[in-house]
Amino acid sequence: MAKWRVMTVDDSAAILTIIAAYLEDSEFEVIASERDGVMAVERFAQERPDIVLLDLIMPGQSGVETLERILAIDPDAFVVIVSSLGTEDAVHECLTSGARSFLQKPFTRDDFIDFMRDLTQVA
Amino acid sequence: MFFGQYLLSRGVISREVLIEAIERQRETNLSLVELAVREGCIEPQRAEGILTRYRTTDAGLEELCLEYGQIDREKLDELLRIQRSDWVKIGAALIDRGHLNRDQVEEHLAAFEELQDEANQQLEADFRACKDPETVKKVIELAVFHLQRFTNGPVKLQTLTADGGGLSSGRRRYAQKLVGDRQLCCALDLPSQVATVVAQGFIGIPVEDDSDVAIDAVCECVNIIGGHACTELEASGFRLRPEPPFSTKGDEPAGELGPSIRARVMAGEFEVDVRVFV
Repeated sequence: MAKWRVMTVDDSAAILTIIAAYLEDSEFEVIASERDGVMAVERFAQERPDIVLLDLIMPGQSGVETLERILAIDPDAFVVIVSSLGTEDAVHECLTSGARSFLQKPFTRDDFIDFMRDLTQVA
Repeated sequence: MFFGQYLLSRGVISREVLIEAIERQRETNLSLVELAVREGCIEPQRAEGILTRYRTTDAGLEELCLEYGQIDREKLDELLRIQRSDWVKIGAALIDRGHLNRDQVEEHLAAFEELQDEANQQLEADFRACKDPETVKKVIELAVFHLQRFTNGPVKLQTLTADGGGLSSGRRRYAQKLVGDRQLCCALDLPSQVATVVAQGFIGIPVEDDSDVAIDAVCECVNIIGGHACTELEASGFRLRPEPPFSTKGDEPAGELGPSIRARVMAGEFEVDVRVFV
């Protein structure tokens, strides 16, 4: 069975490393990782991943701006916000901007994999 | 301050004696998870998973052992009984090795506890005297909580002072601005040894001191502290949003935000600063 193709976007290399490690030997494959919103939009256009895991607070182009640009390319893109910020305002802004879900950092491998598997039920 | 440090600072024991007592504690004082592994209740691999979960969530160790350790309440109570009976306090370790007698330990302990009570009252008064006390207290408490999780060791708030905000030599600052209803900046000023422990606790793999990976990981820890501070302060009606975290070794990154509240925190044997610029 083909793996789910995942793109991760976070200015923190540590978080990209953790997510890649968590998804090893699972039904998910990280096909692209970017640390910058502008690059992420370009990469999305090239790769068209099944799921995008997108940080909210990034230098330069923010997560919400990046989300909007990705959705301008593909309105059906499946983008999930992954952030340390869990305020109602932030969750509301992300979901109304088109994010499909929201995950607050930090998280463990098991929680993360469960979350990803839940996503695949609706992706 | 911990009791052993108090005895050292008062000249009651020497540094060598304190090290010996701490090493004695390390031999006997097992964490609940270590004890469960020793007693054959939890597989080592599963124990590692529980510790990772402990470092990266808000859950307690007992709760995690029950949920993920495949042990029942009865077994957990038995482990807690063993842990209590085996646990050697620093005073007992000093008595065992003949450095102090029981009366001396009790006398110093009473004086230490009195000092701790005074220090705690002083801390409460200092928090109340801060500009924006609720925000400052929340940020500092979250920083202490997460430092404890990421280092998997004792972390204790010592004192609170108003301070110009300069970075002490030999330390790196990991900081994040929170903006919105108000503007503040929270920062961890850490010696490289502590930063490395925090980074390793966070990402779960060994890292080199002051490497880009270590710096990046500690920045992400600050991001978690800042993000959670915004989330928790929202319940009090504050609307705050974190900016990307950053790190610096010499500059004053938050000078334009005004003076800082400096919380001196003991992380194991190291002193670190948590600062809130308000």
